[in-house]
Amino acid sequence: MSKLLKSLAIMALVVGAGSHNQAQAESILIKGAKVYTMTSAGTLENADVLIEDGLIRNIGDGISASGAKILDGKGKVVTSGIFALENQIGLVEIGAIEGTRDSGTELEDSGASFRVSDVFNAKSTLIPMNREGGVTRTLIKPYNGKSVFAGYGAIMDMTGDYDSLILSDVAIFATYGEHAAYLSGGSRASALQELKKSFAQAKEYAANKEAIKRGEYRQLDYSFADLEALNRVLSKEIPLVVSVNRANDILTILEFAKSHNISLVLSGVAEGWKVSDKIAKAGVPVIVDPMDNIPSSFESLGKRYENAGLLNKAGVKVMFSSSTHNADNVRQAAGNAVAYGMPYDKALAAMTSVPAKVFGGASNYGKLMPGFKAELVLWTGDPFEVTTYADTVIIDGKVQDLSSRAKRLEQRYKDISTDNNTFYRK
Amino acid sequence: MKVMQFSKSFLAAFVGAAFLVGCGEEEPATHPKDSESQAFISQYEVREYHPVLIKNATILTATGEKIENGSVLFSEGEIVAVGTDIEPPSDDDLEVIDAEGKWVTPGLIDVHSHLGVYPAPGVQSSADGNEMTAPVTANVWAEHSVWPQDPQFQLALAGGVTSLQILPGSANLVGGRGVTLKNVPGRSVMEMKFPEAPYGLKMACGENPKRVYGSKGQAPMTRMGNVAGYRKSWIAAKDYMEKWDEYESGLGNGKPPKRDLRLESLAGVLRGEILIQNHCYRADEMLVMMEIAKEFDFKVTTFHHGVEAYKIADKLAENDVCSALWSDWWGFKQEAYDMVESNVALVDKAGACAVVHSDSATVIQHLNKEAAKAMTSGNRLGMDIKPEHAIKWITINAAKAIGVEEKTGSLEEGKMADIVLWDGNPFSVYTKAEKVYVDGALMFDRNNEHFQPVSDFKLTTIDTESN
Repeated sequence: MSKLLKSLAIMALVVGAGSHNQAQAESILIKGAKVYTMTSAGTLENADVLIEDGLIRNIGDGISASGAKILDGKGKVVTSGIFALENQIGLVEIGAIEGTRDSGTELEDSGASFRVSDVFNAKSTLIPMNREGGVTRTLIKPYNGKSVFAGYGAIMDMTGDYDSLILSDVAIFATYGEHAAYLSGGSRASALQELKKSFAQAKEYAANKEAIKRGEYRQLDYSFADLEALNRVLSKEIPLVVSVNRANDILTILEFAKSHNISLVLSGVAEGWKVSDKIAKAGVPVIVDPMDNIPSSFESLGKRYENAGLLNKAGVKVMFSSSTHNADNVRQAAGNAVAYGMPYDKALAAMTSVPAKVFGGASNYGKLMPGFKAELVLWTGDPFEVTTYADTVIIDGKVQDLSSRAKRLEQRYKDISTDNNTFYRK
Repeated sequence: MKVMQFSKSFLAAFVGAAFLVGCGEEEPATHPKDSESQAFISQYEVREYHPVLIKNATILTATGEKIENGSVLFSEGEIVAVGTDIEPPSDDDLEVIDAEGKWVTPGLIDVHSHLGVYPAPGVQSSADGNEMTAPVTANVWAEHSVWPQDPQFQLALAGGVTSLQILPGSANLVGGRGVTLKNVPGRSVMEMKFPEAPYGLKMACGENPKRVYGSKGQAPMTRMGNVAGYRKSWIAAKDYMEKWDEYESGLGNGKPPKRDLRLESLAGVLRGEILIQNHCYRADEMLVMMEIAKEFDFKVTTFHHGVEAYKIADKLAENDVCSALWSDWWGFKQEAYDMVESNVALVDKAGACAVVHSDSATVIQHLNKEAAKAMTSGNRLGMDIKPEHAIKWITINAAKAIGVEEKTGSLEEGKMADIVLWDGNPFSVYTKAEKVYVDGALMFDRNNEHFQPVSDFKLTTIDTESN
């Protein structure tokens, strides 16, 4: 392709990307807000943020821009939009209704290659509900069905547009510990054997691919798609995210990753604080839920609120998981992590810049600086506070609609004592 | 109706006494009335503790007041004084706490908890909350499943919860009796029972009973089946109550009717002694339940989970029913689809009794923050709800929802000294309960490990806590 054609193609792409988010790109100027840049510029107490053409154009004092829509940031706070992690937004509408649930499979032969991003429902009511709470992107994760491997995760935006995919196949999710033992024969030993066997066969597959496809090789225990998926982990193209909780199970998985030379992310990590030095030494990032201190199983007896803070203190990169219907409550979880010892900036990074670094997208999201995507939230105050809410949510430089099904219900019924003519009010 | 009930029980007491006297050695018929039963009666004892004066605090009294630089004086289990100019009594034992920058509220109350009946760890061998063997199990009592060593009680205490109602699960139309506890350690559930708190009877509307029994090919399989099941139970209960009344008033053949634990609980509701605690999400179903209450002349005290309560806030106010609600849970099942975050605030605005509840071992540790979220959602709709009002949702309104509002739930003279000292504004995510008093005795102190109770089970991990 000639240079000219190439740049035309890129232009077309840019235009395409712009138009999928209906509203015209506009120029927005936030005046006088507290801005968490997450860059070396640190936190600016009273700054302006100029947004043009979907990007952050400038951050600083006394910025003016003619024709820009002005947002008063006085007393308000600007952060990157929340990157929610490990939920099933767009994959589940109502938890108990099977027909609305696409997050896992019960098929025996579907494991590592199970891909849910293809079936993401951008018109789910969960998207406006969570967007209204300040979530702008999410890492969706499949559930383990019959395999210790759940499948691929992907990063989706929260615009509600049909094309919501930011990055596909960013990691493969697996589980180890009590649940993995249950799935693979009743013992952690059999679960570990299953992990080892699958990776061994993935290597075998890679080395004998042609013969295997010609049918001139012994029958392997996994589908080609699963073996190819595992090879993307073995080649370090994408990380393996392993859900694991008990301290010695964490060590087992660290050792497994080391011996297979793969990129690892740990999730759950209830007793991570007990072996935080080892996790730090291995350079493995973790995803934790700072609101969970319930010793809900024998593998998580050591669970405590200080976990996130202690892991961070040991030098581990910490990220926060979220629920599906209330992913925006990760703000409160972050506040809880801070209340139990995590530095504020690290807690903010745990739901913005750190997951972008670990799973992708960090080149244009997660920091507030010129040239980065204008994907940010103007909060009424400290975003971790339970009395704060999102004043304005901006994705790709566009102010997002903050209405939702719940907001419409609220409007319909808020004066029910004096006006019950609800059915004709939409 | 109330008058009639009074005269009936008066008569019953008289006849009962005569019967005892008259029959000498004969074994007396066990009285089925709840208010007179001695079975599993509370063995809770107020702990001895020195008098305490907390001064210079911001106090939310849960009577609607916010007192800056206020003091609370309590002694021998009771609140002695609340206000701004309280003279410390000349008592050598008096402990004076300077609470500058700190806040004081009544002890928090959770009206919907399964601590003890679904303890941690959540293993099948101690999952004792749902007697899913028949659609009406009014005969089971949650207290007989409560494991006092559940480590989650201590987590709730550290969250400022001093009283809680433990309910059976929601699989059944009538799931059994709940029990109200003081959040104190006990070797038995009797040692934790809130003295003289009325029993709750758990009922469930909607999806759960019809799913659990319908899937077995049994009744109920539909919502109409649910309603038929409730009505059948109340008919039987009424009949049972009348038989006892007849016997006690000296009519009939002089033989006491056979006791039936199932009907006894239901009859307790008809007599106004046991409070209905009704799991019910959908607005239309709550209205149907209030019709059933009218048909059989009882009262629904509290709807639990009412995700759609805001749709009938006016009716809830009219019927004087409390609604125990979440701030933002939704979407886990069809009947929880229509959540609005202002649910609590809208119910409150209509003049109905609004309560924030947990149904969760995690949320119970953060009831103050749940109330803060609910308050914020109301204010976003243009209301002007302040912390001194919103605190009621997790204190005095909750007390009313379980029938203990005369004893606890607000900071007023003569009430139980169930008190939390917070290290800041309890409506902030960063604030923690610093000291928690139950009946005037310090049960938890964040800064003193001698006042941090630990259940037997938790000793499993303490040895290895350092790593």
